[in-house]
Amino acid sequence: MIRLHDLTKSYRVHGRMREVLSGVNATFGRGEAVGILGRNGAGKTTLLRLVAGVEMPTRGRVERGMSVSWPLGFGGAMHYSITGADNARFIARIYDKPVAETVEFVEDFADLGEYYRMPARTYSSGMLMRLGFALSMAVEFDCYLVDEAIATGDGRFAERCRQALETIRGRSAILFVSHVPAMLRKFCTSGAVLRDGKLIRYDDLDQAIAAYNAA
Amino acid sequence: MMAGGPSALPLREAFRIQRRVIGALLMRELSTRFGRENFGYLWLFLEPLMLGGAIGLVHHLSGHGLPGNLNPLVFWVIGYVPYYLLRSVVNRAPSAIFGNQSLLYHRRITVLDIMISRNLLECAAVLGTMSVFVLAFGMIFGEWPREMPKIIIGMTLMLGFAHGLALLIAAGSVYSDLFERLTHLVTYLSLPLTGAFFMLFWLPTELQQAALWIPTVHCFELIRNGQFGTVVPTQYDIGYLLAWIAALNLLGMAALRRARRDLVV
Repeated sequence: MIRLHDLTKSYRVHGRMREVLSGVNATFGRGEAVGILGRNGAGKTTLLRLVAGVEMPTRGRVERGMSVSWPLGFGGAMHYSITGADNARFIARIYDKPVAETVEFVEDFADLGEYYRMPARTYSSGMLMRLGFALSMAVEFDCYLVDEAIATGDGRFAERCRQALETIRGRSAILFVSHVPAMLRKFCTSGAVLRDGKLIRYDDLDQAIAAYNAA
Repeated sequence: MMAGGPSALPLREAFRIQRRVIGALLMRELSTRFGRENFGYLWLFLEPLMLGGAIGLVHHLSGHGLPGNLNPLVFWVIGYVPYYLLRSVVNRAPSAIFGNQSLLYHRRITVLDIMISRNLLECAAVLGTMSVFVLAFGMIFGEWPREMPKIIIGMTLMLGFAHGLALLIAAGSVYSDLFERLTHLVTYLSLPLTGAFFMLFWLPTELQQAALWIPTVHCFELIRNGQFGTVVPTQYDIGYLLAWIAALNLLGMAALRRARRDLVV
């Protein structure tokens, strides 16, 4: 269970404080797959970063009753100066996973070929995303925070991501942020709309999409 | 504190995670800083070894005698190596957070863990260097340390002092570039004041009293006491030094915790 209590975040923009999230309250349960819709700049990324604990709220708090991934689909989380394989070793050590298995799993999943043994700074943004996603799959979190970027496109990897999300949906919660309603229909069971710093949840995904399109 | 994070765990579990995280960070720091090519990890020792050796040698060859008839090479190296620890820990502090921001995507890794692992590694390297020198001086000049534990305690206290200072500087660097710009300058200018290259008994009494306010002076005196014993008089107050270390570290951790809340990753 993840509970957001009065979650508020402001950033300093050109010397003035701008409130991106203004008191978000929500509960996400185990096994739920929630699609969070929001326009560009609505604060989707900020919300994921706060839930992940990458950044701290200005006010309010996040209660995590299960293990939560880092936000997927943005890069981050990786070391650019070391190889993909070394990144896998590092993640395995941090999250208490068997090192050899993790290295093998990530190699297989990320499908980076010989780049896997080269520094991550030589990767394209697509490759970084693949590495990041593969690393998070190796850790096996209870809840995944996913940006739509990870599953868009028609490449082999996007297809594999979609399949992976499909399989983890049974055992893990997914918070999937997007501004394209069609993406949500693939994985999500319920929806929410982020607008004006507030999050409104809908039990029915279609209701959420209708509300999003209406605004 | 955030609920559900490491802080909500039982203390023992939290410590276990912290140990694991610091271990992983140490391994990573090793491979990113020194890589696996050329001398690789050896550079960790070679850098302070060469610098310390060069400084010592220059003063040795310049032929000036020292009060108390101390071996100049031994004196300069024994002062320079702990100073190197202080300087590198403090100078590397402003980049500690920004250079490692991607680590903060993992909630298990705290800024304090990053600082601890960096500074432990630095200390391990400098302790290694110190051992090489102490051994060499013993074998070449027959100048074995009178009380080795005092040298080790002195170095450890130096680490504690530098670490506390580094925490404050790292926290400050979240709010202002000034720390990045000024740290190198200040460590450079403060070199004559640290006590690395003078001994208290060289100074007139009033100046001695003033110098004793400087915490690092006590460190260097302690280390010299360990090396030279009572051949030359030394003065230090470990309690005073410990008070500084405790204050800097507590303030540093509090500042870092505040800075983490305001940090935009």
